[in-house]
Amino acid sequence: MASKIVFGKWESISLLAVLMSTQIFLGFPRLMVEAAGTGAWLLVIYAAVLAMLLFAVISKLYSPFEGKDIIDIGGLAGGNAGRIITGSIFLLYLIFIVSVSLREYAENMRIIYLNVTPISFVEMFFLAGMIAGAFMGIESIVRLGAILAPVIAVGFFMITFGIYPYYDFSKIFPVLGSGVNNIFLRGFSKISVFSAISILFLIAPFLKTNKNFKVTGYASIGISAVMLTWSSLINILAFDYPAALERLMPVFQMARLVNLGRFFQRVESLFMIAWAVSGFLYLSAVFFFIAYVFRKTFKLEYYRPVIFPFATLVFTISLMPPNVITATRLEIDYFRNYVWIISFVLPIVVLLIARARIKASKTGGAENA
Amino acid sequence: MPKKVCMLLVIFILCCMLPGCYDRQEVDDFAYVIAIGLDKGKINILRLTLQLAKPTVIGSGGGGEGGGGGGGSDGSEATTTIVVETPSIFSGLNMANNSLSKKLNLAHAKVMVFSKELAQEGIERYINAIPRTREIRPNISIAVSTSSAEDYIKAVQPHLEINPAKYYEMNYQTFKYTGLSINNDFHNFYSQMKSTYQSATAVLAGVNKFNSAEDFSLQSSTYDEKGRPYPLEGDFKAGDMPRESKLKAEIMGLAVFNGSRMVGELDGHETTMHLMVTGEYGHGFITIPDPIRKDYTVVLEVKRSRNPVCSVDISGERPRISVKVILEADIQTIQSGIEYEKPENMKILEKAYEDFLRESIIKYLKRTTEEFKSDICGFGKIAKAKFLTWDEWERYDWLNRYKDAEFNVEVDFKIRRTGLIVSTVPVTLSKEKEAP
Repeated sequence: MASKIVFGKWESISLLAVLMSTQIFLGFPRLMVEAAGTGAWLLVIYAAVLAMLLFAVISKLYSPFEGKDIIDIGGLAGGNAGRIITGSIFLLYLIFIVSVSLREYAENMRIIYLNVTPISFVEMFFLAGMIAGAFMGIESIVRLGAILAPVIAVGFFMITFGIYPYYDFSKIFPVLGSGVNNIFLRGFSKISVFSAISILFLIAPFLKTNKNFKVTGYASIGISAVMLTWSSLINILAFDYPAALERLMPVFQMARLVNLGRFFQRVESLFMIAWAVSGFLYLSAVFFFIAYVFRKTFKLEYYRPVIFPFATLVFTISLMPPNVITATRLEIDYFRNYVWIISFVLPIVVLLIARARIKASKTGGAENA
Repeated sequence: MPKKVCMLLVIFILCCMLPGCYDRQEVDDFAYVIAIGLDKGKINILRLTLQLAKPTVIGSGGGGEGGGGGGGSDGSEATTTIVVETPSIFSGLNMANNSLSKKLNLAHAKVMVFSKELAQEGIERYINAIPRTREIRPNISIAVSTSSAEDYIKAVQPHLEINPAKYYEMNYQTFKYTGLSINNDFHNFYSQMKSTYQSATAVLAGVNKFNSAEDFSLQSSTYDEKGRPYPLEGDFKAGDMPRESKLKAEIMGLAVFNGSRMVGELDGHETTMHLMVTGEYGHGFITIPDPIRKDYTVVLEVKRSRNPVCSVDISGERPRISVKVILEADIQTIQSGIEYEKPENMKILEKAYEDFLRESIIKYLKRTTEEFKSDICGFGKIAKAKFLTWDEWERYDWLNRYKDAEFNVEVDFKIRRTGLIVSTVPVTLSKEKEAP
């Protein structure tokens, strides 16, 4: 499959930018305020710089492995065991995040629009979209992402510009918010907001060249850094600290604030489009990669037969948290604090081992010769 | 491949839309609340008043159901009210729903009115429910009624508007051209209530107490305490304006909060000063005694020229706040007929306005520190920028220090235009000729 399908830089950048930025529509802006107070936007910039630096290291280490994904490289590093360990870690990570995100999307949908509908009913529709996306394959998802990414961006910027009467730049002071320690030391773990970069290590075979790999990585981190920083800044400008700590789905609440004259108000429908589209793209792309990683890890010929079992698993796990707060805390306390280990540290470790193995085998080969 | 992409797009769109079928609701199934009133209850914690729109009346042009545009032309019949006593807002909705054929919907509520009595006790326990619900919009105006909220809402029977919601929308925006009131929406009010650098304000509303022009009195006017011989246009609070009209509801002045508790109220004139200091003043007529002939008045249409320039010095024990208000004006009325259009006279008039406004602003600011102990102008925003971290800012404890603040007020006032008259020619009187 990977050898036949190739997609361009725009498609891959769009996909990754959507995957990294979609958290804007959930609790991301609030999460940053929780971590850094009025310095939330500084924290995002700091995390983006760190993510860029770590990606520079990873792309340097990636250079001998053009056209290979992280699971292939895991195989080179540790044989079958290496491949299975690497694949399984990614698999667990993807199942966890897609389950939690599915629950969050469904709960938020229920809170803002579908008050009476049972949560399982709402989730089933999200699941239907995810299953359809996974069945159609990565090419359909990526190409749809390339079409819809600008729609999502336009919707987001329209909402944030629409609340300009509420901007008050004095709200960003004190500029260091909850302090240097919280931003620059404890804030290190917030590079996890760019954890979707790990998908790049899975789509490397579709990008073919190292150049495409690098451009996609830097551009997607850069674009999402702009979106994430802007959302954090506007959240503080509009909602004020500490009241901003209370807001569920700050971007939705921003959309509710848009009130330009008596004619241009109630633009939540704009939010709904951007939010639902980015949600479906995010969930179906990540869900596709669950099946894809499983196939690669266990060297299966087809990925489609595992779609329904995984859909059932994800659906079941997503309904395990007893309430929306538990689901959100699972994402904030565990995923957003520790997933950088899987997204950034694991690839570096795997790449270092693989390079060492290759170097050793070359040296061994030369000695034998 | 494009076929697959299109199919996936269609599936996504269908998946977005179809879940809505489960809790589908028709627009016609709802009764739309346009105003919510909260008073202290007689037999329960709260008395909840809901003003509901009658869409059929509004749609037919105000003259009665199915009139097809005929009938009357006002909105007095376009609403109905329900009053329930309840422990909380939402339990009250539940009780009210029981008597209606349609489900109450708050998505079109324009104003939430608290009675003064309730506001003085603190409204946090009631208002905390609002940001949780998606139905009530953050742009809903917050008002405090000098009479009961129930009376105020029942008194809103607009005669110039068919749509009562439009009445609220437009009435609460009049401050832009009168300067005698404010409009604080729930979003701002809630943030200010929880803020560490600014206290909240709300619109002061009330029911006019005069039934005829013969009943007019100045008992409740604030002109006397200001040492004026007669009241100016802003020397009243809501409910006290000498005004006779079928529409009894009115707004004038603002309610001052400290946290969630109302601690005082300002009259229309002080509200103008508040708007000038906060930079929200648009334009409006301001009357002062004629600087040369004190028994006459001068009226200028005063406009904000530029945003006020404020600074806060926190180096000393007490915060020192400097305010420079920059205004311009057009001459509207010179009762005395003195030629203030002349440059040398214009300077006298400008100076008189500068002194009048400076004195009024200082008096107003002193009330905020000494009487209310509430930074309703938000000077704390400026002070906050002098700190690097939130902990340092919280330790400074601005809201407690504000009561000791000292002010330095400057008013820059320039008359720009003189209306359609460039020079006042004195009135000619006929001289009585002596009989030969």
